[in-house]
Amino acid sequence: MKKKIEIGKRVGIIASIVLTIGWLIPYIYVVCCSFKPGAEVIAVPPSFFPKTFSIESFIDLFNRMDAGKYLTNSLITALTSTVIALILGALAAYAIQRSGLKLSIFLVVLVLCLKMIPTSSIVVPIYELICNLGLYDTKLALIIVYAAINMPFVMWTMLSFYEGIPTTLDEAAYVDGASSFQTFRKIILPICAPGLATAFIFTLFLAWNDFLVALLLTSTNAKTFTVGLAGFLSAYNLDLGPMCAGAFVFSFPVMIISLAAQRYIVQGMTAGAVKG
Amino acid sequence: MKLISRKTLLLFFLPGAIFMGAFLIYPIFTMVIDSFNQVGLTGERTFIGLDNYIKAFTAGGFLKQLKNTLVYIVVAVTVETAIGLLFALFFELNYRGSKIIRSLMMAPLMIAPLVAGLTWKLMMSSSFGIVNELLTRVGILSSSSDILWLADSKWSLLACCIADIWLTTPFMMLMILAGLQGLDNSMVEAAKIDGASLFQEIFYIKLPSIKPVLLTALSVRIIDAARTFDIIWAMTEGGPNSSSETISIIIYKTLTRYNDTGYASAMAVVFIAVLVIFTLVFMQSLWNPKKKA
Repeated sequence: MKKKIEIGKRVGIIASIVLTIGWLIPYIYVVCCSFKPGAEVIAVPPSFFPKTFSIESFIDLFNRMDAGKYLTNSLITALTSTVIALILGALAAYAIQRSGLKLSIFLVVLVLCLKMIPTSSIVVPIYELICNLGLYDTKLALIIVYAAINMPFVMWTMLSFYEGIPTTLDEAAYVDGASSFQTFRKIILPICAPGLATAFIFTLFLAWNDFLVALLLTSTNAKTFTVGLAGFLSAYNLDLGPMCAGAFVFSFPVMIISLAAQRYIVQGMTAGAVKG
Repeated sequence: MKLISRKTLLLFFLPGAIFMGAFLIYPIFTMVIDSFNQVGLTGERTFIGLDNYIKAFTAGGFLKQLKNTLVYIVVAVTVETAIGLLFALFFELNYRGSKIIRSLMMAPLMIAPLVAGLTWKLMMSSSFGIVNELLTRVGILSSSSDILWLADSKWSLLACCIADIWLTTPFMMLMILAGLQGLDNSMVEAAKIDGASLFQEIFYIKLPSIKPVLLTALSVRIIDAARTFDIIWAMTEGGPNSSSETISIIIYKTLTRYNDTGYASAMAVVFIAVLVIFTLVFMQSLWNPKKKA
């Protein structure tokens, strides 16, 4: 009986290792392609590993497009918008979670509905608005739009974190004469640091990975890396080497951060779902 | 004790509300108005009542895209859930190094959908794609141009589904795994002592106990799959012949390529309404706001 379980476990272990490697193959393939010379990427028949190791694609990537500038744009807009969304979202969610008014239930439902809105269907009114404000092709436009679009997500995540903090803390602060804002800033926020970290990482990735908003709102100055990368599809049709190099450069930091901050990511995804 | 007064609530909500009002709520209002109008290229509006909505639901409207979206959701979410469940059951085992394997599995979780789309576009290319080369070598295809994944209207939507499945199965697995790890082990032990088979253990004990987690994960994925844009745009742009066009794509195309704001707004209003109703109905059954307040 015991032996049977041992064998079963061993099969399970081997299966999970094989599955993991199998699942990572598409990504490994892109990494391999980015280290192939340009002609080898589109060679027929294709090979998985590079036959000759080369960094030609990376050089091409930086020659063909202003990759450094686009990466900087992506980073600045993602970081700034995340900080705005996080501060304002955390503040609003705190008030909603603690107030217990009928109005707050309405606001929770409103936030949830806003979270579900597909970006693809509202980008054009946003585009018109940004043009009217004279902000087309500026980083500021991307920052405020990302902050707005991601704010419902921050609120939703923070709501479930605040729930886990006993209200007796707020009450103690209230008795000691702290204002609502002081209670929020000095008592609740420090306790919520893990929650804030979770919301921060998620929102950062959402903004960093965005393609559609940047595609519509930028042309040259504020263009982000995703839009530049998609340009390889049409403009430089067979330049798949630089495209792979770009995909690698763009997603490698994301992979490293998600491995390092995995605890927060798991918390963020399962927040509310597991606790019920 | 009332910690937050009505005034404080509004005051704390206001700064965020300005952002969301300008870029989420205002666009919806504009779209509702536009949907009843014929909007010209220069922006002049002529009231045409429900014509845009009628156009959407008649032949040549967005019924085909609606069907594509539904197929996409059903195929992608079903396969993701099935594979995610299978993976979660394997990954539930604890052994030396199991944490590293789990971490590696979750690494692609945060990759940009656009990058996932580009990756699969490269792999599914008919001439230099690794997928067809592999299928030819193992003998499923006789030549690598037998299946034109992205250029054949029979396969294009499925090809997009595959990229979606690759990108989001780790999410499904993570959610199910979190549910499984939260289970009370004594129930499983008791079932084992009573002689339950592995099959019974999974389908009669484990699955019913993680139902709430599973339903939440499903609802999140159904909505995300319905909204998918980047992956499809990167792989096929909805083609060939609108065979992989979903509602997100047709709305975007109608706006930017055909400049028909009124018609696109009508489709978008229908789309948003369906998603919001789905969310509300779903949340109602899972989550009761009164309980929390």
